[in-house]
Amino acid sequence: MEPVTIFLNGREVNGRPGMTILELAQQEGVYIPTLCHEPQLVSPGAACPSIGACRICIVEEERTGALLTACTVFITPGMEISTDSPRVLERRRSIIELMLASHPDSCLVCDKGNRCQLRRIAAELGVGRLGFQKVPQTATIKENNPFIKRDLSKCILCAKCIRVCQDLVVEGAVDYFRRGFATRPATFGDGPLEESECTFCGTCVALCPTGALMEAEPAYRGTTANVIRTTCPFCGCGCGLYVEVKDGRVVRTIPDKEDPVTRGTLCVKGSYGYDFIYSPDRLTAPLVKVDGEFREVSWDEALSLIAGEFNRIKAEHGGESLAVFGSSKCTNEENYLLQQFARCVLGTNNIDNGSRLYGAAGLHGSPETGGFFSTNSPLTALEEAEVILVIGADPTASAPLVGYAIKRTARCREAKLILVDPRETRLSLFAELQLRPRVGTDLALLNGLCKVVLDEDLADESVDREAADFAAFAESLAPYTPSHIEEVTGVSHQELRHAARLFAGAKRAAIVYGNGITQQVNGTGALKALSNLVLLTGNRAAVYALQKESNSQGACDMGALPDFLPGYYPVTDREARRRFRDYWGSLPGTPGLTFPETLREAKAGRIKGLYIVGEDPVSSFPDAGYVREALSAVGFLVVQDLFLTETAKLASVVLPAAGFAEKDGTFTNFEGRVNRLRKAVEPPGQSLPDWQILLHLAASMGHPLPYTSPREVREEIEKLVPLYAGIGYGTLEEPAPESGAPERGAGEAAVYRKHPGGTPRLAPVLNGAGPPKPHEAYPFVLLTGSNLYHFGGGTRTSRAPRLRKFSAAAYVSISEADARRLAVSEGDRVRIVSPAGEAAAVVKTTDTLPEGLVFMPFAIAVNPVSQLFSIVLDPERKSLLNKAVNVRIERIGSDG
Amino acid sequence: MTSVAERAQEIVSNYKGKEGVLIHVLQDIQGEFGYLPEEAVRVVSEELGISLAEIYGVASFYSRFYFVPRGKTIVRVCRGTACHVRGSGRVLGKLEEGLGLKSGETSPDLKFTLETVNCVGCCALAPVVVVNEKPQTVLNPDKVIATLKRSGNGGQD
Repeated sequence: MEPVTIFLNGREVNGRPGMTILELAQQEGVYIPTLCHEPQLVSPGAACPSIGACRICIVEEERTGALLTACTVFITPGMEISTDSPRVLERRRSIIELMLASHPDSCLVCDKGNRCQLRRIAAELGVGRLGFQKVPQTATIKENNPFIKRDLSKCILCAKCIRVCQDLVVEGAVDYFRRGFATRPATFGDGPLEESECTFCGTCVALCPTGALMEAEPAYRGTTANVIRTTCPFCGCGCGLYVEVKDGRVVRTIPDKEDPVTRGTLCVKGSYGYDFIYSPDRLTAPLVKVDGEFREVSWDEALSLIAGEFNRIKAEHGGESLAVFGSSKCTNEENYLLQQFARCVLGTNNIDNGSRLYGAAGLHGSPETGGFFSTNSPLTALEEAEVILVIGADPTASAPLVGYAIKRTARCREAKLILVDPRETRLSLFAELQLRPRVGTDLALLNGLCKVVLDEDLADESVDREAADFAAFAESLAPYTPSHIEEVTGVSHQELRHAARLFAGAKRAAIVYGNGITQQVNGTGALKALSNLVLLTGNRAAVYALQKESNSQGACDMGALPDFLPGYYPVTDREARRRFRDYWGSLPGTPGLTFPETLREAKAGRIKGLYIVGEDPVSSFPDAGYVREALSAVGFLVVQDLFLTETAKLASVVLPAAGFAEKDGTFTNFEGRVNRLRKAVEPPGQSLPDWQILLHLAASMGHPLPYTSPREVREEIEKLVPLYAGIGYGTLEEPAPESGAPERGAGEAAVYRKHPGGTPRLAPVLNGAGPPKPHEAYPFVLLTGSNLYHFGGGTRTSRAPRLRKFSAAAYVSISEADARRLAVSEGDRVRIVSPAGEAAAVVKTTDTLPEGLVFMPFAIAVNPVSQLFSIVLDPERKSLLNKAVNVRIERIGSDG
Repeated sequence: MTSVAERAQEIVSNYKGKEGVLIHVLQDIQGEFGYLPEEAVRVVSEELGISLAEIYGVASFYSRFYFVPRGKTIVRVCRGTACHVRGSGRVLGKLEEGLGLKSGETSPDLKFTLETVNCVGCCALAPVVVVNEKPQTVLNPDKVIATLKRSGNGGQD
């Protein structure tokens, strides 16, 4: 394309066609002030990259004398633009003065301080005394939430909060209200945020140029100079964020606007949940249990005690009597070291990681599929899909960033969303079609979809109909007729056909699935059926397997699994073992125990020593009593964590670990993106990063591991794990020096690890065990799921003061009809009883559930829902099946 | 589902699948209920896929959309220049006193709504009060109040 030549402040410069004056000026390093311009708010393909609301970017076209807004006007050949003529500066001053005329004179005490863009531009322009009469704007709205505070008297109507809420996060909680001088951004009914759709993602607060939108309970009110780019420690999305540090403490997190995936958004946990690292419960010294009481000891004492015991157990009972449980919250480097420690130092393959609970650990390895249908595309590809199938997932709660992307694609790009969920979720509003199958009938439904695709001849040409396996496959679908599906799943045959036609007709499709599949009875079959559906329709769908935790993917990639070495080499593979042996020394060749199996063996007295890093199975696993009993039966239990968790209380030795902002490393998110975690502050007391503890411990055991930093571990991973080779993993830049303001940061390029290969084939999948059968004594089906404000077992979120304050109590959602039948109403306390146990909760009535189905999320302070389940494993993937259970509901109340 | 939501659903269904229909839908809903009940607006939001805040934003831009129920009789006092000069301020004061309402309020029994307008375009009649779309010159507010209270419904002599 021919470049466009224009004169910028008298200098001849070239830009590409379709560039705005502002973009060209930025390219040329010419400063133009902006307030409402925000590049990441532009949806691709939009006619204009900005809205020109604030007018502060005006420049002068010298040939005509016209004043143009630089952010909305495209360059044309021969333009003569002046960005700082006296006329331009005079007008800019007037604009700022008009803004200040309705702005309070509270700069001295305003929390925004030096971060205020309005004040900065006023200062740059030398605006002094105002020539206008002051007309104050409306004042603060009373809010009752611990996250966001609005003072709209400081609002300059730049509309960033409105645009980000509607176009990027797609909640639409605020919009312009009224007109003229009375205009302001408001929620429906002009009420407080907590009564609106607001999810407190904090994106608007991070973007607000003035002090109109602020943190309600800031850890620090001033400006910080020290800003460090790192990664959110919560869910598998792996959002890029900056932490601001003041006096050695993290005081704020800000989303990374330049990050191509995060695009300046976070969720409530990323914005307001980081402060669990300052909980008074943090462990600060190693603890050893003496006569049932914990006593603080030195590192040397703790390490030599552990080394002595592990060595003794290994010598007396062999390596298989030891086991290690790693963490899907620890870094790749730490998990790599941990599995090496287990295999080479302890001599056992009994290593697993926390994602076993959520099914991620079981997703790998099915031979013909290269893993059970795992993620194959970066999230950016989702937004190019024409049809999105979401099944067994509520990403708006469990993976908010994916939720934003789905909503954006459905709303702004008019992609068709097919939602498969028995509950109505936030995504239902965006769905073209929602199928609401009975709990546990996903496999039948998916087979039914395949059947319709075959019967209506919607299958792709690429499908080889002559192949032997095709005939077997087609035959296996014979029973799954639409009328049969209607009977089994409750989804009408019209809806089934509609969904099949929509999905098969898409040139580009995307599939998002989550724990609703992986933790469900028949989950393995459902994954295979999904794979069949994709193969049949030939639309090479982008697949997204949501991961619950920040490093579920990485922990598995790094071989913190009983049956796989790093990079998914089976431990039984002699060749692969040889490859690693050259670096590590000898390693055992029989597959080890998954963690649930370890618990079973422990209970039988066959596990003598157990090392748990960063997991709290007593709180997070089903059947806490059983887990407690099993762990108590282990002779020597070592727990390494940030807090004295319920699991740690059972330990012989507890080691204090560093939190996410206190160490270096990498996380791999659900899409295979490798994100940097950088040390921003020192860990409290004597606590140390997990990788350091591991190195010390290995050395104490007389088997030092040859690394001194996470970087050296990365270099070895790059050499040994092909998934991580050739992406610059080993030499990912070292901790960034203390950088300036994040809005000027260059952002980080997204680095993706490779996707495991594998050629999926059509394969018949038949129904295994049916869904939970209704039972007279337990007439309801209870579903569990994520809650936006809580995370996992709540170890961290329950210690984040703001999250805890906002939403702490366990609740159970019950349909209005069921509530009437049970004679309970909103706010009543009920007891929920399953064959495995019981839990208490407060009732919330809802119209989003069908009769007979109740929903209970994991809760923040205590996690009673896990009491309702017993430990049941998927036979093939050995994942826990704890998504749905039959329960009865009893009222706790006056009449007992 | 309540009757309001059901009726709103019927109204929206006439427009489903069409672009740029929000204002028409809101007008129809206001025509039906006299104002925009929250329940109905929620239905519109779900059916048209437009956020509540956006609907609120659009509706609040226009001064003739209302979010609270309106009285059966709507009394508008003109506060345009000509009426102002002819004493409409005092007329308004008297009406406020007589009806026990401030400007912009509706009586709890939903009989009267009192509000001001900036000009109704018949300055020759100033000072003007519009009662249910019918403008009249008001020289004696007490008489108007008495008439309003007596008829209670139509409010016209």
